[in-house]
Amino acid sequence: MMKYSLILFFASLSFCAFAQQKQFTLDERGKYVYYEVVDTKTSKDSLVLRAENFIKLNKKSFVKSTLTDSSVTSDGKMIVDKTILVASHPSGEVNYAFNFEARNGKYRYWITDLEYIPYNRDRYGNYVPTTNIATPLEKTPGKLSAGAWKDILESVYTKSEKLGENFKKALLTSQVKTQVKKTESISTRKW
Amino acid sequence: MKKLLSAIFGMACTTCALAQEAPTSPLEFSGSVDTYYKYDFAKRPNIPTSFVSDHNSVSLGMLDLVLKKKTGKASFVGEISFGPRGQSQSIPDAAGGGSSFHIQNLYVNYDFSDKFAMTAGYMGTFIGYEVISPVGNFNYSTSYLFTNGPFQNAGIKATYKFSDKVSLMAGLFNDWNLYSATRGVSSIGGQLMISPVEGWTAYINALSGADPYGYGTIVDLTTSYQITKAFKLGLNAANYDMADDAGGYAGVALYPQVAVADAVTLGLRGEYFKTKDVGTVAGTAYTGLTLTANIKSGGLTFIPEVRLDHNGDKPFLNKTGGAAPNAGQFSLAAVYAF
Repeated sequence: MMKYSLILFFASLSFCAFAQQKQFTLDERGKYVYYEVVDTKTSKDSLVLRAENFIKLNKKSFVKSTLTDSSVTSDGKMIVDKTILVASHPSGEVNYAFNFEARNGKYRYWITDLEYIPYNRDRYGNYVPTTNIATPLEKTPGKLSAGAWKDILESVYTKSEKLGENFKKALLTSQVKTQVKKTESISTRKW
Repeated sequence: MKKLLSAIFGMACTTCALAQEAPTSPLEFSGSVDTYYKYDFAKRPNIPTSFVSDHNSVSLGMLDLVLKKKTGKASFVGEISFGPRGQSQSIPDAAGGGSSFHIQNLYVNYDFSDKFAMTAGYMGTFIGYEVISPVGNFNYSTSYLFTNGPFQNAGIKATYKFSDKVSLMAGLFNDWNLYSATRGVSSIGGQLMISPVEGWTAYINALSGADPYGYGTIVDLTTSYQITKAFKLGLNAANYDMADDAGGYAGVALYPQVAVADAVTLGLRGEYFKTKDVGTVAGTAYTGLTLTANIKSGGLTFIPEVRLDHNGDKPFLNKTGGAAPNAGQFSLAAVYAF
């Protein structure tokens, strides 16, 4: 029994050692980046069109887009939530730069230049930005803020992952225009 | 009043046509708790502003609970508070004896479009710089301008956002600080918001009609400017006149704040407040200087504060119970926002 307990104990330790913590990597500028290269069978032109369409469909999250024949860049905003029990509320927003480049057979996208603006509750019970000056996520927090900053980084990483997944799904789908079908009506006069 | 309501309704109908569907948000739950210790240098409660009332006691502020939900274009906010700051010290008390709860906000909002919205219910007042919730203030003690002005307004208001830099609000309200009107919906109010440059927002407010003092008109300027990442400057100036020259007040308060470290901000409040002459009875003037620190760690803010007030008419008491022109207090508060 003791032998099996020890085996179980060391096995669980080894799993912990291999466990990956979700965190951003740094680019050549020392900025946090969420970066992915994806192989695809779709042509470059189709990829650029689909990427542009994705930005347009999510216009509340993206502002100011720039388009070329092989790239799309846009400034984006994501809301960071704080969860309490089963409900949550916005605790801040993160502004970021979204970049996309396509070649025949593959594309890449990356999210970088992430900056955080904290929210506070106003007199009407709504959460609003406390300042207009954002703080880069790379900033090393003081000891008192370390815990809260770690939570923000993890939350932003999770949201970046989700944004990436949604973007990749959108690039897999070709644009299909759905036609509005006329509702069939039954005539009770002729039969 | 009929013309104003017709104009508001007409604007709502025309903007309906241009309205876009808004997303549904999950139920939002938030709130705060706070507690404090205060020591008055005269060894008795002395400074007559709101909250922070107990001398030499570890005392309670309030437990504040907020619910918000948006479905499509409609949303509601319900905010309720318990504890001295949220009950008898936040007028009105919902039940006699000071042992009940207090509604801080209870309203519904409808976004007719991205630019036009209407709100009805009981709301935190749009007048003034400071608020009831300790989460919304930098200083833990409050100013004379806050204490003597409105805390909440029940009514209906319309807000039109011309751009991110300019918006206008107009509304009809009950008397200040009451769930139900005692003299009908007899107050009219408005707010012009302007944001001349990024980081600087100014509100010009006016409210006229029935209030706890009788009938009067208050005009108020509230502004704050985040000048640099570390330095912010706030200003509040107000003038209140009662009908028939029955009294009123005027005052100004300046709020410079500087971030000295990642989690530490120092702020100063300098205030001048004067009540108006009534007949042959002269008004009285207070000046106050409050030095406050905000030390933050996650949701917790620790607030040490020193305050010195002066009034040449000697409304304060000294240690021996005699009239004194000066009063001072030291307080430590802990506010947790969740």
